Amino acid sequence: MARNVSSVYIHVVDDVISKVRDEFINFGVGENVLTELQTLWEMKMMQCGAISGAIERPPPAQKPSGPITPVHDLNVPYEGPAEEYETPTAEMLFPPTPLQTPIQTPLPGTDQSMYNIPTGPSDYAPSPITDIRNGVDLKAGRPSPYMQPPSPWTSQRPLGVDVNVAYEEGRDEVDRGASDQPMTQDFFTISSGKRKRDDYASQLTSGGYMPQQDGSGDVMIEFLLPEYQPKEVQKSMTGRDRETAVKILSKKETEAAPVLPQQDGVNDEYDDLFHFQGNEDYNTPAEHVELRAATPAVGTPKPAKNEAAEDDEPPLNEDDDDDEDLDDLENGEEELNTQHLVLAQFDKVTRTKSRWKCILKDGIMHLNGRDILFNKATGEFEF
Amino acid sequence: MFGCNEFQVMATFELYRRSSIGMCLTETLDEMVSNGTLSPELAIQVLVQFDKSMTEALETQVKSKVSIKGHLHTYRFCDNVWTFILQRATFKNDECPEQVGRVKIVACDSKLLTQ
Repeated sequence: MARNVSSVYIHVVDDVISKVRDEFINFGVGENVLTELQTLWEMKMMQCGAISGAIERPPPAQKPSGPITPVHDLNVPYEGPAEEYETPTAEMLFPPTPLQTPIQTPLPGTDQSMYNIPTGPSDYAPSPITDIRNGVDLKAGRPSPYMQPPSPWTSQRPLGVDVNVAYEEGRDEVDRGASDQPMTQDFFTISSGKRKRDDYASQLTSGGYMPQQDGSGDVMIEFLLPEYQPKEVQKSMTGRDRETAVKILSKKETEAAPVLPQQDGVNDEYDDLFHFQGNEDYNTPAEHVELRAATPAVGTPKPAKNEAAEDDEPPLNEDDDDDEDLDDLENGEEELNTQHLVLAQFDKVTRTKSRWKCILKDGIMHLNGRDILFNKATGEFEF
Repeated sequence: MFGCNEFQVMATFELYRRSSIGMCLTETLDEMVSNGTLSPELAIQVLVQFDKSMTEALETQVKSKVSIKGHLHTYRFCDNVWTFILQRATFKNDECPEQVGRVKIVACDSKLLTQ
């Protein structure tokens, strides 16, 4: 029963979703959250190419268990249509291929109380698959538009959460924006008494100025703080104009800086101010790539050669092999999945002199940008 | 509740979470926990279920065999996990062989799961 990678992944998604459904119910979390989880997951997988654009649900005929799709637990009769219903959302975001998925057999004993998913035409994208699934769904007894051109979808919110449309619009952003707004506004209206934790702010009355205490301006602000009356800072506007504030302050102090100097990063005064002794130089630009690329086995951050650390101990020669690995690094992208990777279980690993042999099983390989699965692998390596 | 099947404590291999499908799930769960849609406990439950489902799927739904050859650059065995770094490796299965300049192999002990 060999299946291609996409279908195995889809099976795993279905399996996980159906098996956590009970947990979600126990936690009192709604079905819409579960739907959102599945949708987001499948969407990300499509984006990274783990599954192909058309989600193929396995035809029931191939599976041994029951009339419903085998991945679904029989004691939860609703799973089939629920998932059929959901996947179109993910598909919708990518041009759906005119793939006609075999139609799931209708579910017996539809239990409306369990799921609040209204059936019938939804706001999901026009795709033949959606049509089929909606057509098959007998819950609402709607006519089945089998393989018809899509009917005009309106942006309904059948699930209470418009996962589809909202997601296109960057629902997360919308939500976050919505939740952030009141918070920011609160800050502006908060009296200074509430900002006790903020030393700087406590000196100000709430003129709407919210000084930023972190980031690139912090050193500058700390510098200037003792020397300036709060009044002067207060004169300078809102939190948004922090940089302007800093500029004004710096102008007054130095009277010479037409350009806003960068306070962080490579050229900051951090080292000068605090006379760092340690190997803090991990973040010089040249080493960023190395840090990301190195594996735990062979890569270590390269402290700058002139750091004091090596004076106390014999040189560790940590750098000896670094370049060698980097030269061999394929692609060189920082992406998570770009590194060629095999995740598996080992049955046996043996070695004779410098010849290693291993037997692996149940593995996922990510090579040259694609996923390959195996049930068994034999390896012969020369050390 | 105790004594039900759902509460059997079973070790799972978390290594498959590092695969594409696993990372997609992890990212999804992270987003949902960050914006408060999902509780962290529930997210962990999902990941544990993923571990089980993925392991089972690989056992039952995949039948391909692969042979790997290459130069072993590094090996490590720690906490019952083998990590190999291969260079100039070739992976052969029924389809065309894949060649990579460098690959990391992470393998857990299969005996830890069988009881």
